[in-house]
Amino acid sequence: MTKFRMRQAWTIARLEMHRAFLSKRAFWVYLLAILPAVIFIGHGIEMKVRESRYHGRGVTPAEVVDSFTKGENVEDVLKRAPKPVEDHEWSYRRPRDDEGDEGEGAKKPRVSERIEGRSLTYFDGQRRVNVNFENGVLIRQHSQNMKNFEEDRTVFAGVFQYFYLRLAIFFGCLGIFMNLFRGEMLDKTLHYWFLAPARREVLLLGKYLAGLVAATVIFTSGALLGFGAMLWPYSGAEMQAFWSGAGPAHMFWYAAAAALGCVGYGSVFLAAGLLLRNPIIPAAVLLVWESINGFLPDLLQKLSILHYLQSMCPVAAPIESDTPALLKLLLSPAAPTSRGFAVLGLLAVTMLVLWVASSAVRRIEINYGTE
Amino acid sequence: MTAPGAAPDVVFEDVSKFYGEVLGVNKVTLHIPAGITSLVGPNGSGKTTLMNLMTGLIHPDRGAIAVRGLSPRDPESLMRITGYATQFDSAPRWATGMDFVATGLALYGYNRAESRELAWKALEQVSLTDAADRKVAGYSKGMRQRVRLAQAIAHDPPVLVLDEPLNGLDPLVRAETIDLFRHYAAQGRHVILSSHVLQEVDVISDQVILIANGMIVAEGEIRNVRDEMVEHPSQFIIRCRDASRIASLLFNESHVTEIRMNDDRLGLLVMTRDREEFSRALTRVAVAGHVIDGVIPADENVDALYEYLIGGRS
Repeated sequence: MTKFRMRQAWTIARLEMHRAFLSKRAFWVYLLAILPAVIFIGHGIEMKVRESRYHGRGVTPAEVVDSFTKGENVEDVLKRAPKPVEDHEWSYRRPRDDEGDEGEGAKKPRVSERIEGRSLTYFDGQRRVNVNFENGVLIRQHSQNMKNFEEDRTVFAGVFQYFYLRLAIFFGCLGIFMNLFRGEMLDKTLHYWFLAPARREVLLLGKYLAGLVAATVIFTSGALLGFGAMLWPYSGAEMQAFWSGAGPAHMFWYAAAAALGCVGYGSVFLAAGLLLRNPIIPAAVLLVWESINGFLPDLLQKLSILHYLQSMCPVAAPIESDTPALLKLLLSPAAPTSRGFAVLGLLAVTMLVLWVASSAVRRIEINYGTE
Repeated sequence: MTAPGAAPDVVFEDVSKFYGEVLGVNKVTLHIPAGITSLVGPNGSGKTTLMNLMTGLIHPDRGAIAVRGLSPRDPESLMRITGYATQFDSAPRWATGMDFVATGLALYGYNRAESRELAWKALEQVSLTDAADRKVAGYSKGMRQRVRLAQAIAHDPPVLVLDEPLNGLDPLVRAETIDLFRHYAAQGRHVILSSHVLQEVDVISDQVILIANGMIVAEGEIRNVRDEMVEHPSQFIIRCRDASRIASLLFNESHVTEIRMNDDRLGLLVMTRDREEFSRALTRVAVAGHVIDGVIPADENVDALYEYLIGGRS
């Protein structure tokens, strides 16, 4: 491509960015992009508020909290640790253990006993420890870190892969890229581009660049904002260790996966906007294709954008053990490929799709009457 | 056929275009020379299809098109020499008149200052500089028509394709616009326009192309086209004081098929199958001492041609 054509493509991109960034039709794209950040900011605020509330109510030394034993009386516990941060009492009735079928066929009246329950929560500065009593006797205790970095990282991986890549970027790109040609058809303004002294391929490239810049800025920022929101409640040694270790690479690959998601899905929806009138059809087909990817033969798996994107993610997305088998299969990524190959594979898929789109744009005709 | 030294024609060779099952144009062969050429036909006759074909907005199902030797499939070259003001009454919502015209020029390689200067000149030519900074969305129909014309002429193309360019213009602007077309034609450019207002075409066109149901019915200079219509009588209006006497003399001529008397009895409408015989007959009438104030061909206009050829007025 000559320098002049490249300049033309960039001019088109510059003119189209206004539409891509500020289209009323694509306003909901911003909501999708910031949703993970909103979730993690909410989570962070909740953690910080609770921590500060617990600090205000009193910190019990860790050795005291660890000294509680099963069978101990509530009075003894309170004598050693008089400042629980939460104290709840309740009562309920429970069938007695000695109830059973003693007579043949005779129904005995149900016998139950009243249980006085109590739950004390202690805070040792790091952990929240729930101590449960029945009729004044300690029966169970459970401790949990107030902030669990590993858990939050895994949750972020899940949100990123199951929501952000599969849905937010997917539908965001649908909104931005389908609008580039189809939107102009509906507005009856596409002919102005076709009457410019530019090859149709240059127009396609310019519009793709406009959509790509908009989508990448929106969704990469959204991913980084979400990542930052996930890290925000943490500080000190934990963060130092993270940033001097895997942290920068994690951040880079989340941003890269979001950006390359825009590259891949963008090309598909740009082509779909040229070939089809109804965006629901390509969206549904692609969503199904991406979902069944794990069942497909190796070669076909490589024709999936999600396959490459998931291969780039630095943390595996969690799948709960009680997830139904079919859903588990749909959510499980196909055997991941190396990151270098994933980037190359995704770019190859994108080039293939853009080649199809460029042959479609050469054939496209202005016929607004049928839109 | 292009004359030596003249600009190459706009050429359609056996071009057909179908919209699914619907005929757009059928087996059109045309050689359009420089000057003002009007495509005339009723709505749906295929005028816009021809214009869209020659500018590459649609592609022919068969045949070939060349605009001064360039293919409409090569917009990079074609649109440097062609400006097309379409009938699509739409413009980007964000655009002012100036932005609308200047934005397109950016793709010709002009920088911002050059684009705005050229845009201003184009807006001046269509008398729209007063509204240059207003949003196109707020323009009247006539102003939108003019801003589209400004966009088409802004890069000074030698080929102008204009779809119903005089629609919605007030008489003063219409006259100015016609002058602009004549000015372009005098410079050896192609000005190809469509219209279904036959009177205006008659006044401004060097040649007409009559189209009906997707087929070319006639093409050429209006007078020549009319001369070819031998099977239809020519009409002349004769202004005279002795109308009934002249009518009786002319009625004896075998080539005269019909005579109608004006209500004021100071004129006649005569229909003749032979224009030369009619001319000789008039001379005889004058020599016999009857005063003839004027003779005007009544059907050397597109309206009459259209009625003959297509069988109804658009």
